[in-house]
Amino acid sequence: MSADLAYSTRRFTFSAAHRYWVEDWSPAQNARVFGRLTVVHGHNYTLDVTIRGPIDPQTGMVIDLGELKRIVGEAVVERFDHADLCADPLFRGRVPTTENLAVVLWELLAPKLGADRLWQVRVWEDPTLYVDYRGP
Amino acid sequence: MVELTRVYHFSAAHQLRNLSLSPEQNAALYGDCHRPHGHNYYLEVTVAGRPDPVTGMAVDLTRLDRAVSGAVLAEVDHHALEEVPALRGVITAGESLARAFWRILVPALPAGSLRRVTVVETAKNRFDYEGGERCSKS
Repeated sequence: MSADLAYSTRRFTFSAAHRYWVEDWSPAQNARVFGRLTVVHGHNYTLDVTIRGPIDPQTGMVIDLGELKRIVGEAVVERFDHADLCADPLFRGRVPTTENLAVVLWELLAPKLGADRLWQVRVWEDPTLYVDYRGP
Repeated sequence: MVELTRVYHFSAAHQLRNLSLSPEQNAALYGDCHRPHGHNYYLEVTVAGRPDPVTGMAVDLTRLDRAVSGAVLAEVDHHALEEVPALRGVITAGESLARAFWRILVPALPAGSLRRVTVVETAKNRFDYEGGERCSKS
């Protein structure tokens, strides 16, 4: 057995506004495809960040959860909590669906945590819907 | 590829019984679960797809909701699972229910999109079915 891999997941929350809108489309077409989602509304998002790695023999940990909290806090929570996703440059030309949000969160976190360590982001839009993304 | 999971809810009665066994044998095999009782079930349906470059959506949620509501929830919610035609012959243990719902949902969803069906029977019991392929732990 080469590495004693384990998974550590920490949960974060942020509340943000968004709406679904494609600039190149007419209002009628946006309404037809997205319905009520074209109106600005918001969610209490929950983000579960999972790190995969070997258990360090010195610390007994996969990752220092304090480090994880700091990185995700700075990169994600400070950026998106009580913010309008549609106003963020990362969503310019990209509809802030839960699917796209999962991809964006991965793109923000992978360079900071290391794509080899970051295993999955799971973003819950509400208690009935979540999206998992494990990288390209 | 992203995986989107939608959480649905239904309430139903059921009892564990194998119709080829006697009542006494079922009682011995299934214990308390052989008596008619019920649960507030959660059904989690996971589908995979690539976000459309224009709409950002990997999954047509309206279609998913309609498929699950029509093919599963309407059949089982506030029913006795043993009486549901679509579950004829199914021993309604959580894992068998998950497999039965998988088989019902596959033809109702875009080809190849279904990844997982999870039946949450109680806060303590959760059953996942991913199509039954054998896979080794990595």
